Amino acid sequence: MASSESATAIRGILITSLPAVGAIAVFGTLYGTAAQPLIGTPLTIASSMFVFSGALQFAIVGLLSAGAAAPALLLTAGTLNLRHVVMGAVLRPRIGGSRVRRAGLAFTLLDETFGFAVAAPEEAAERTLFVSGIFCYLAWQVGTVLGVLGAGLSGVERLADAIFPVLFIGLASLAATTGTLVLRAIGAAALTAGVALFLPDIRALAPVIAGALVALPGSSGDASSSEEHQS
Amino acid sequence: MSPLLVAAIALITYGSRAAALAFLPRPDGRLEAVLGRMPAPIFASLATLTLITEEGTLTGGPILVASLVALLVSPKRSLAVALVGGIVGFAIGTLLF
Repeated sequence: MASSESATAIRGILITSLPAVGAIAVFGTLYGTAAQPLIGTPLTIASSMFVFSGALQFAIVGLLSAGAAAPALLLTAGTLNLRHVVMGAVLRPRIGGSRVRRAGLAFTLLDETFGFAVAAPEEAAERTLFVSGIFCYLAWQVGTVLGVLGAGLSGVERLADAIFPVLFIGLASLAATTGTLVLRAIGAAALTAGVALFLPDIRALAPVIAGALVALPGSSGDASSSEEHQS
Repeated sequence: MSPLLVAAIALITYGSRAAALAFLPRPDGRLEAVLGRMPAPIFASLATLTLITEEGTLTGGPILVASLVALLVSPKRSLAVALVGGIVGFAIGTLLF
């Protein structure tokens, strides 16, 4: 009975995360295609296995193409990854268990899995993070290998491009459970547009900066409650 | 690019993921309230970022139409409806642009 419920829950998470998983596979293929000539097959596959961060891996490919050295790559990694600290802090009250368990779960923390976990009911956040993270991880690895092998996906690249903004808009609508949160989300979007247009060098930090700036004012009762979440 | 550099980047990435989730103390009081208000703005911010290229221009027409339709159906507060709306919008945008 319990395993049946578990299978149903996993199936539900898979269905929810499927568009993102598909898009991640497409981008994994593009990454494999772009990185293989620059760093070779073993390091292309190893980077996807151990770094598992599309935004960062594409940034590294871009930097390597421009002839950047190790310090620039490490600095970029530090900068782009700062948002994970904030996402981890947001998720922390929803994730229980031992430190070792949470340390294991941390590997599956991506923009997308963070979104699915936050949008899920509080008691399902941990499972959602883990299951969607595993599917995203597999998609990224398969995509990378296909790209290394020379697969071409130009036909679906544009659709995959469209999945991410649509996904984040959908997740924002789930998380914006009150009128005030809707206004904060609009404010963050406006701030991000300003940063992306006028301070492009720090655009990677915009989600964290804008998110924090619009979240600061207000009382403790203004946060979205888990009861208001819907899947 | 050496294996050591890949390992260092992987370590930085994992460290950033695990820092708050596993190693820092659980936030409480006002900080938890502030963090609780951050998901919707972060998602809105991520969506905005995907619509503006690194050169500071708007992304392609079909993607903008897909996002616009997803935004129009966002009051439904359903991820599935947003995704279906986005795909329909993408199809319309592809026809238009």
